[in-house]
Amino acid sequence: MALRVVGQNEIRVDGKAKVTGKALYPEDIYMDNMVFGKTLRSNRPHAHFTLNLEQASQMPGVLRIFTASDVPHNAHGVLFKDHEVICRDKVRRVGDPMAFVVAETEKEATAARDAIQVSYEDLPAVFDPEEALKPGAPLVHEQGNLVYRFKLRRGDVAAGFQESHAIVEQEYRTPMVDHAFLQPESGLAYMEEDERVVVCAATQYPHFDQLEIAEALALPTEQVKVVNPAVGGAFGGREDVTMQIHLALAAQHLKRPVKTTYSREESFYAHSKRHAMVMRLKTGADREGNLLATQVTIYSDTGAYASWAINVLRKAGVHATGPYVIPHVHVDGYSAYTNNPYAGAMRGFGATQIPIAHEMQMDALAELLGISPLEIRLKNAFVPGSVTATGQTLSESVPLVECLEAVAEKLGLKQSLREVSP
Amino acid sequence: MKTIQLTVNGKEMTLTVEADQRLLDVLRNNLKLTGTKEGCGEGECGACTVIMDGAIVNSCLVMAFQADGKSIQTIEALDSEDGSLHPIQQAFLEEGAVQCGFCTPGMVLSAKALLDKNPTPSKADIQEGISGNLCRCTGYHKIVEAVEKAADTMKEGGESHGTARRGTK
Repeated sequence: MALRVVGQNEIRVDGKAKVTGKALYPEDIYMDNMVFGKTLRSNRPHAHFTLNLEQASQMPGVLRIFTASDVPHNAHGVLFKDHEVICRDKVRRVGDPMAFVVAETEKEATAARDAIQVSYEDLPAVFDPEEALKPGAPLVHEQGNLVYRFKLRRGDVAAGFQESHAIVEQEYRTPMVDHAFLQPESGLAYMEEDERVVVCAATQYPHFDQLEIAEALALPTEQVKVVNPAVGGAFGGREDVTMQIHLALAAQHLKRPVKTTYSREESFYAHSKRHAMVMRLKTGADREGNLLATQVTIYSDTGAYASWAINVLRKAGVHATGPYVIPHVHVDGYSAYTNNPYAGAMRGFGATQIPIAHEMQMDALAELLGISPLEIRLKNAFVPGSVTATGQTLSESVPLVECLEAVAEKLGLKQSLREVSP
Repeated sequence: MKTIQLTVNGKEMTLTVEADQRLLDVLRNNLKLTGTKEGCGEGECGACTVIMDGAIVNSCLVMAFQADGKSIQTIEALDSEDGSLHPIQQAFLEEGAVQCGFCTPGMVLSAKALLDKNPTPSKADIQEGISGNLCRCTGYHKIVEAVEKAADTMKEGGESHGTARRGTK
């Protein structure tokens, strides 16, 4: 088969528009008669609230202040519909949207947003996923704080530890991380002549956004069109909708193009984070450094909303052995709601956190056994034919040993490599 | 309100600006030169880089009235009307130095300001020249290679567009 593109030095299709500054990101789109929206966000992690809009709605230029009661079906979310489009009477994190103010100019919208009086009644809050699962913990959502329970069992870890010569037991914590894509969220919505609402926003999932907008506004999907202009980076942070439904709602009511652009600070409040995780690992090896057993407990902090909590924890759990053959494996994972910023997709999707833990375990075991960190990895590395903890036989590309050897050579560790290799 | 006179991409103009408008706002909102991007609004990311009297500035940190009497170059000034690209733009394309593209206009202008002053920069000079511009896609290696390539092209043939290849990379 002749390959037309693979192996060729191709110029990317959007390259020329980007080097000339002509590529249109959402904030670069201007329309006649356009008005501006600003989001009022919670500054409390967990509270009941009421709004007094009287003063704000009298402010110059204000067209309308949208609140929860304007949203026909006030729920969205990629897996569970646990986000409110606009919170009704309770906020679950700092940054939760409480109102969407639309005015003739951006300045007027900002002034009116800042003039809304918010009365909070603070609720007890929880900021640690393990604490959130204890009896009596504050409930972020009524149905309880456990979002997902992951279990993986292979062999008999008790027997594995019994046979082990060296055992390392440690706790590791990784923090939430922001994507910090360079283009802060921006979007524009308008009505077409056939009453279809069009939303232009930089997104990773235009088809998901279409469904979420249609469901929230109780419209048939064909009445909603999502246009994805140039996207200024995403890294997982644009998988969940932020302003898309706000914009569609406002355009639908006002019959004018509505635009909103987040500042860098608001962008940090608005979108998801990488899941912070608490990981406890107990790993055992025999005298020669062959891994025998690992017992892993993971608490994954999904913050105020579930987003991709299930998929992310599952991935962390599946990868808990690292790229190593371990006969006895026992993994327990818990993903919990807290009042932290919500967590979702970010680069690696759960496979980024757990290596911090399993690789530290490898170093610690090597030290305990008096062998090199390279040796213990080469001894246990997956090779073609290895069976993973989830029962998968690796049959194709498994170039870990080659990779380690190449790195060792570059680092001048060839000597120790020779001592290890058969 | 204040009236300022400035030159933008070779065109002299008189503009009425508000006291709290930044140069960035004037370029984007008044002149619709949207190739200049706002990434952070506080001078950290360099997406809003423009050339002012020959030196790069973050246009989010320059108030509009401070641009009175100045000459500004934005990304829109670089390519020709016939659609041909500046050697720096061409090199960015060919070297794969563009990913999400949001840093690209600022990067290209920082590279231009550098090459205008120093046509034969070392790798370290280039790295320093773009040190005020963040690429969150982290494509720095290719960006540096693109600037090296552009320097070679411009040395060899002025504005003729880049078929020259570096011998080594």
